[in-house]
Amino acid sequence: MGRIVFKNIHKAFGSKVVLRGVDLTVEPGAVFFVIGQSGAGKSVLVKHLIGLIEPDEGQIFLDDVEVTNLHEKDFYPIRKRCAMVFQNSTLFDSMTLLENVMLPIRKHLKLNKEEIRALAIEKLTLVGMEQFGDRYAADFGDGMRKKVAIARALTLNPEYVIFDEPTTGIDPISAAMVDKLIRHLADHHDVTSIVISHDLRSIFGIADRIAMLYKGKLIMDGTQDDFRNTDNPIIQQFINGRPEGPMEI
Amino acid sequence: MKLISAILSLVGTKFLSWSNEVGGMILLSWDILRNCVPPKLDGPETWRNLYRVGVKSFPIVVVTAMLTGAIMVIQSGMYIKEYGAYGLLGWGAGYSVLREVGPIMIGLMFSGRVGANNTAELGTMRVTDQVDALRALAIDPIAYLVMPRVLAMVVMLFLLVVIGDLTALIGGAYTGQVLLGVDAKLFAWSIVNYILLEDFTHGLIKAVAFGFAIALISCHFGMRTTGGAVGVGRAVNASVVASAIAIFVLDYFITYMDA
Repeated sequence: MGRIVFKNIHKAFGSKVVLRGVDLTVEPGAVFFVIGQSGAGKSVLVKHLIGLIEPDEGQIFLDDVEVTNLHEKDFYPIRKRCAMVFQNSTLFDSMTLLENVMLPIRKHLKLNKEEIRALAIEKLTLVGMEQFGDRYAADFGDGMRKKVAIARALTLNPEYVIFDEPTTGIDPISAAMVDKLIRHLADHHDVTSIVISHDLRSIFGIADRIAMLYKGKLIMDGTQDDFRNTDNPIIQQFINGRPEGPMEI
Repeated sequence: MKLISAILSLVGTKFLSWSNEVGGMILLSWDILRNCVPPKLDGPETWRNLYRVGVKSFPIVVVTAMLTGAIMVIQSGMYIKEYGAYGLLGWGAGYSVLREVGPIMIGLMFSGRVGANNTAELGTMRVTDQVDALRALAIDPIAYLVMPRVLAMVVMLFLLVVIGDLTALIGGAYTGQVLLGVDAKLFAWSIVNYILLEDFTHGLIKAVAFGFAIALISCHFGMRTTGGAVGVGRAVNASVVASAIAIFVLDYFITYMDA
């Protein structure tokens, strides 16, 4: 397991420029938070890592191997090692929760039906959803769906996990459970996590490092203390949640 | 001058938009072909689609076909009566149902029910990031989502047309007996004696072509949906219109080539 490096990433959608030369390094085993306003380009940035979006310019390295602009099929081995939990839970509506979690196991691991089922239940247990396995995703609110999406992302025991707003829409107790799980993955399984979040309690609870994007640029990369003690008025406005300040909304 | 410029701009925009859609369908066809060798199909997803596409369409196809057969007999009934050509009733109804009306009517019903549903499902998956979630799980959306749907639509439209043809003939025979007093045995005799096997297979070739066209078009518009709920509505609309046009264009060419 190695570092994740984003080098001078530029991305625009038509005339809308989202990323303007972002440089970022994520060390192995870290819980790395990417924060910033809605529309700052956080999700766009992390989607580059697994090839869901191609950069207009710049390079991305995973384990010192360049993964920029690979062919779709060449990203599959990377995606097995680097899972992603989307902002919307993205569970498949036509399947039960258990079937959702079983899908990647069924497609990628050579196990028999009982083993697949047992592993899926084990992953659902991690997020406290094992008793709802035979129910459909549509029966649940976004918070519970998100927990199942986390279970599904962890099925292949990834080395890297991208969490896109994992605690948004979740009750405080479940959010604390998700935070604990992310920390546990880093501390006991050396899983590197990139977490996109606006949740200050999560950010200042479990982050090893924090990076803040503003207007498509990285304005700070540091520890929790660096962020608490900085004089940068934009960062202070953001982490204190003040409506007035230099940050343009 | 401004008017000419506006007209040219409109024509150009429409042309580019159509080219974009046709190009997308050609690329999707190529992806489908690539996934055929060796065949890549997900078992549970294929069974789910065969059931959803075929079994769930069965009642509406039976009702449509039964009425189509009856209408064919009613339409030809006045001429049959006038000329006393009761022995030709089975041939008249069977020939038109097997070669033309059966595949077209069932194809259009299938497009409205299955094609629209398919575009809506894929479109919703697309705009809610479920397709990207599949990619993120290292699962090819073409192999997992499109291939089972294409197979299910081709196979099931073929089978539904076979069942629909039979049902239409039964509907025709029953209507002939009740309205015209033509014995069902005479109706059957007329079919057996005058209808050729190629009349039946001609309709089945159309069924396979229509099934593939509906699958390709509905998957194409579904997989390229953007713009949330409004985009899904637009995609379904475009899919149904394009499928209907494709059915008639294919029908024309297949009929012309067989003539």
